[in-house]
Amino acid sequence: MQKQKKNYKKHLFLWLLLCSLLVGCGSALFAEGHRTEAAASDDGTTFTVGFDAEFPPYGYKNEEGEYVGFDLDLAAEVCKRNGWTLVKQPVDWDSKDMELNSGSIDCIWNGFTINGRENAYTWSKAYIDNSQVVIVKSDAKIKKLKDLAGKVVVVQADSSALKAFTGEDATAENQELCASFADLQQVSDYNSAFMNLESGSVDAICMDIGVASYQIEQRGDAFRMLEEQVSSEQYGIGFKAGNTKLRDQVQAALDEMLADGTFASIAEEWDLSDCICLGEEGTDSAYRQDDSSIVKSTFGEKVISIMKRLSGGILASLAIFLLTLLFSMPLGLLVCMLRKSRFGLVQWIARIYISIVRGTPLMLQLLVVFFGPYYVLGMTLSSRYRFYAVIIGFSLNYAAYFAEIYRSGIESIPVGQYEAANVLGYSRIQTFWKIIFPQMVKRVIPPVTNEVITLVKDTSLAFALAYTEMFTMAKQVAAADASILPLFVAGVFYYVFNFVVAILMEQLEKKMQYFS
Amino acid sequence: MAVLTIQHMKKSYEDLQVLSDISMTVEEGEVIAVLGPSGSGKSTMLRCATMLEKMDAGDLMYGQHVVAKDYHGKAVYAKKASLQKCKNMFGLVFQNFNLFPHYTVLKNVIDAPIHVQKRNKQEVIQEAKELLKKVGLEDKEDYYPCQLSGGQQQRVAIARALAMKPQMLFFDEPTSALDPEITAEILKVLRQLAEEKITMLIVTHEIEFARKVADRVIFMDGGVIVEEGCPKDVIDHPSSERTKAFLQKMEG
Repeated sequence: MQKQKKNYKKHLFLWLLLCSLLVGCGSALFAEGHRTEAAASDDGTTFTVGFDAEFPPYGYKNEEGEYVGFDLDLAAEVCKRNGWTLVKQPVDWDSKDMELNSGSIDCIWNGFTINGRENAYTWSKAYIDNSQVVIVKSDAKIKKLKDLAGKVVVVQADSSALKAFTGEDATAENQELCASFADLQQVSDYNSAFMNLESGSVDAICMDIGVASYQIEQRGDAFRMLEEQVSSEQYGIGFKAGNTKLRDQVQAALDEMLADGTFASIAEEWDLSDCICLGEEGTDSAYRQDDSSIVKSTFGEKVISIMKRLSGGILASLAIFLLTLLFSMPLGLLVCMLRKSRFGLVQWIARIYISIVRGTPLMLQLLVVFFGPYYVLGMTLSSRYRFYAVIIGFSLNYAAYFAEIYRSGIESIPVGQYEAANVLGYSRIQTFWKIIFPQMVKRVIPPVTNEVITLVKDTSLAFALAYTEMFTMAKQVAAADASILPLFVAGVFYYVFNFVVAILMEQLEKKMQYFS
Repeated sequence: MAVLTIQHMKKSYEDLQVLSDISMTVEEGEVIAVLGPSGSGKSTMLRCATMLEKMDAGDLMYGQHVVAKDYHGKAVYAKKASLQKCKNMFGLVFQNFNLFPHYTVLKNVIDAPIHVQKRNKQEVIQEAKELLKKVGLEDKEDYYPCQLSGGQQQRVAIARALAMKPQMLFFDEPTSALDPEITAEILKVLRQLAEEKITMLIVTHEIEFARKVADRVIFMDGGVIVEEGCPKDVIDHPSSERTKAFLQKMEG
């Protein structure tokens, strides 16, 4: 009793220590955001542009491996005129706001839609008018937007298309259209969107017209674009909220380029002349917006709002976690048995399986499980298969690790136990289940605990299949709020989850202490 | 009537011949001590006799049940089902006890009779309690092996072997993992069993042990039986030089 009390105190102490550590880190990160404001441009030497390297023709990696694009050419010209050195910084689209707020990039310049984000950034004048269009397979029966009813549509996470359907400023027309879909799914990049479309797991992609034209040109006539468009929107350059000084310098250079015709000639080079809207009437409302209109809510309100929005993702993460354990633990035992089989062939199959699973990234395995049936077997994928693929991929992966843990547990049991069972006449099956298995379980609890804790964190890899578990959702919320706080909340969630797992496993270990 | 018959048992590990040509019979009620230096082959003989190892050549029989028969210099083993039957005819007590650590003392004793021999559970429990009383552990039935001393564990192991109602018991150096003062504990139990006319074959280093309980002593060296006879003859008046050398070394 005394000892337990002490343990409890020790837990509480560690727990408090960790909490204060996390809070400390968190506040340090927020504080940093303020300090580094406009730092990179103040020294007048470099200008770092953040862009999504998979967003042609605005910014992408060409065949020579260089970052090129319309926006990057514009940025290069602006730098030339201001005497800055241009730094092209590809960013993960979901973390663009953290990059901007932390000062690691000076602006987001990459076909960046103003509409719906007016309050989150300090904007340049709009320079491109873009619309959202729908891409389907050439042989699909979808001709008009209303044909999308009952279909699965995919958009890029935190893209203009997503905002057009589900954002706060979404038009009633678009909301109605979105409600008619069977499902609106999100992927992290356009390449996987097209893989999804090609494999039949989605029926349509909704994306920016500029990108769509480029993709269709690159991918040939397997896809086509619907004539009807979803919504109209404009691109601008996004600066950290309040950083008007840098914005004005960039805008001045752009205005100059527009006046002397450089802007038009760069647009022509990229085939975007039809989309230019810089300097047109009514396109600079975001630019003229007063900073004071940017609404600030308190820390507590923010955390509560984030937790509400993450709750669906928490359930998804829990589902992945529990189902993976449910399937991978017995499957691991089966693999372990095969690995210990007396038949060489069976043993080698198990060896190769374990070797491949342990030797390749889980994310890649998830992609293979999801897209394999289409690309290898030509099967059409249903959108429900996405979740199954996540569970199958995770279970197959963890089974390999569990198999090796079980094997080491079994092999650590003294040969005398087998001999005693043999002399007493136990059959092989009885020996395993009555004598060896219970002792193995006790021995493998510590390494299994390690795997279980890793699994909690690995659930976030489900984003590779565009399955929105908690971390994917946190990244989306972080992008929407232009704040790092949702990721921090997600971190706390993982920690608490693992804390509970560790305590449960410790209890189990204690329960097994009755023999040694 | 012989409980155990071994004829011309041979066993090699790769190029090393461990047993050259061992023949012996164990009569009902007889207590045999097998003595010999390390590497003499006595443990291998016991492991072959208890089917933990397969011998290369020779005959092995329990009563009328044939375990293996020599066929042109190779031991041919009987079918699995009849081997299983023979396993019920003997018990083995290990040097390291090899109790099942996750079972209580009582469960260690009753599990095999209930689940292997399919005997009536209540009867087995009743008998097990009597056996535990016989080895002086009647108050320990709910303990786990790790809560017992080495001597107590070895006594549980003896009770576990007896619970199978074997026709004979083998002991593989039953005291060499124990402190010298505990040896007496085990010796007491063995003498008690000897008085009850339980057939036993004990492989041991302890010469005193052999002298006090054995009806017959077998001295092995270099994979053969060098000398055998009643303890007085073999231990006190050995005829072979090898036996003399061993005894001198052991008794200092």
